[in-house]
Amino acid sequence: MLKEKKTISTSFLVKQLPTATLFVDMKLNIVYASDKLTSLFCDNRINFVGQSLFTLFPQLNLKWKDVLIECLKGTSNYMGIQGFKDLSGNEKFHEWSNATWYDSEENIIGAIIQINDVSSAIESDMALEKANILLKQQSELSKIGVWEYDLQNSTVSWCPMTKTIHEVPLDYEPTIDTAIQYYKEGHSRNTISMAVFEATDKGIPWSLKLQIITAKGNEKWIMAAGKPIFEKGKIARVMGTFQDINEQVLSETKTKGDAKLLKTLIDNLPLNVFIKDRDSKKILVNKSECEYLGVTDANELLDKTDFDLYPFETAKLSRDEDLKVMETLKPILGQESISIKNDGTETAFLSSKIPLLDENGCATGLVGISLDITNLKQKEQELRSLINVTSLQNKKLINFAHIVSHNLRSHSANFSMLLDFLVNEKNEKEKDKIVDMLTQASNNLLKTLENLNEVVTLSTNTQAKKESVNLRSKIASIQENLSNLIATNKLNIINDVSKDIHIQIVPAYLDSILMNFITNGVKYKHPDREPILKFNTEKKGEYTLLNIEDNGLGIDLEKYGSKLFGMYKTFHTNKDSRGMGLYITKNQVEAMRGKIEVESKLGEGTKFKVFFK
Amino acid sequence: MRKINFISIVDDDPIMVFGIKKMLNSTVECKVVESYNNGNLALENIKHSITKNKPLPEIIFLDINMPIMDGWQFLTEFITLPIKTKVKVNIVTSSIDPYDLTQWEFFKNRTHHIITFNNKPIKKQKMDDITKIA
Repeated sequence: MLKEKKTISTSFLVKQLPTATLFVDMKLNIVYASDKLTSLFCDNRINFVGQSLFTLFPQLNLKWKDVLIECLKGTSNYMGIQGFKDLSGNEKFHEWSNATWYDSEENIIGAIIQINDVSSAIESDMALEKANILLKQQSELSKIGVWEYDLQNSTVSWCPMTKTIHEVPLDYEPTIDTAIQYYKEGHSRNTISMAVFEATDKGIPWSLKLQIITAKGNEKWIMAAGKPIFEKGKIARVMGTFQDINEQVLSETKTKGDAKLLKTLIDNLPLNVFIKDRDSKKILVNKSECEYLGVTDANELLDKTDFDLYPFETAKLSRDEDLKVMETLKPILGQESISIKNDGTETAFLSSKIPLLDENGCATGLVGISLDITNLKQKEQELRSLINVTSLQNKKLINFAHIVSHNLRSHSANFSMLLDFLVNEKNEKEKDKIVDMLTQASNNLLKTLENLNEVVTLSTNTQAKKESVNLRSKIASIQENLSNLIATNKLNIINDVSKDIHIQIVPAYLDSILMNFITNGVKYKHPDREPILKFNTEKKGEYTLLNIEDNGLGIDLEKYGSKLFGMYKTFHTNKDSRGMGLYITKNQVEAMRGKIEVESKLGEGTKFKVFFK
Repeated sequence: MRKINFISIVDDDPIMVFGIKKMLNSTVECKVVESYNNGNLALENIKHSITKNKPLPEIIFLDINMPIMDGWQFLTEFITLPIKTKVKVNIVTSSIDPYDLTQWEFFKNRTHHIITFNNKPIKKQKMDDITKIA
């Protein structure tokens, strides 16, 4: 009865235990079970009492049976942790422990088993382990090591990666002083010393890019970070990371160096260089391009298109070119073009446009390179005009040579013919006639030589000194000199040249030119009317244009135009024509770098236009 | 002596005209020898003769360098005139300009008239040759 009572009361007590507890007898059959078990295994249908432990928990480690048997002999040992899935499928971990169960007479009557839910502890352990593994991997991949400086014990610990970075053996034991000694003398060591002091003294964290010299003597760039850890308001430790960034820094330095080299190169090239994006907006310009467009800061040009910088026509041409280059992916190389700026200045460029391609081979923009060849062009133009002048002169010279040869030959032919006649002539009268002709031929030859001499003097004396001459008074003075001729032929000269016209000219040439036009006016007057000769001037660019207009015979320019200024070319039956006047005049005008033009209508008159420079 | 009816001399140099006439005297028998100071005068005369159905020159001595109308300008118009007979045109010049030779080639191939190119001075033998008519 008592025993029964006692049993009931024991059973009642056990039921209320705060942990999941089992009492098993010597045969490992459950005698008591606390209610906590029900909640632990979430199954209140289980009737624990009377059942064998291993029948109830078939998943239990069989080794535990031995442990429990030991326990029943009086020695309790650690059992371990058992995992299982609860009804909702969650992984649960239980720690099983045991104790020998004695009765009041110290007899062993069974074992007491306690089961604790350690799931959360296990999970956090696993998380920690995972985190550790992850950290280790990360540390290896990124070459980031960790370290810790314990201020109280003055100890420094390095993780394997930190040691690897320092190139020290894994059993190396650093101290705060040796750790600092690894930093490169000078800036790096001073900076880290200061940072450690600031951190330990004032609690200021650091993150610095510095250089170390490793145990093997290699110089390395590292990133060192430190963070003071407070305990009870005092700085107890400094923890931090240590990262090898040598490769990044070196490649960064190299990239920076490359970029700098490229920039220096582009800026100092005597070429205008620019890069445009797909919309022809400038995204890079060099110094030359800035100077050309008259800005001091490249930013003033960036993001702008040619339409912002040039007149519409120029910009349109340029944009069309850009599009063509980007569409066809064919560069334009060494193309000559004229660029007109908004202020109207023209620049000749030798320019190239090369498409910029992305990795898919599509154009993302273009590089433009232009060489200012304005000076070159100008030189070329000068050279070309020089060649023109030279070839013209050469032509003239050949022409002159033919004329000389022709004229001399015709005289010599006459001489030889007449002399031949003379030798064979018997008739005295005829002989006299031939001698007369020989004299005439000789005179003709002299006259020809005089003419040729006149031309040669003119051609060789191209550097004759120019003077400023008042045109109106010059015409008047020539008029005075020729007053006899003018009066005889009733020539009416109208001098409309204004008083203030001065021209730079060789005075002797001007005399000859004016005289020639006045005598021509007389020679080629129209038989039906009194001759009129009008002089007036106009300003034509860099020239002063002298118009000389008559009402004379006029000339058929279609027939004779090309020969009008030729030597020994005469076009009217006139005894005074010797075909020299206009030839000399033209040469004199050209020797003074002027030019001469003519307009004429047969039977109405002729207008000569003399351009003086 | 060869007999020729009508010879024209077109030259502005009186000495040359005299010389040609003198040489002709000793090589051929010619009824009419006319001379003209320039191409235009000669051309006008020929045109006039055509319209009036008068006899035309059988031989023409032609200078190149003349005022108003030179030898080439004369030929340009002459070869277009409606002349059925073959006229012998003897160019007589002191020019050695290659241009004049190419001009001669040009005209030679464009007319049924016979055109010869002769450099001054003309020797008697040459005169004999160029006064032959086909």
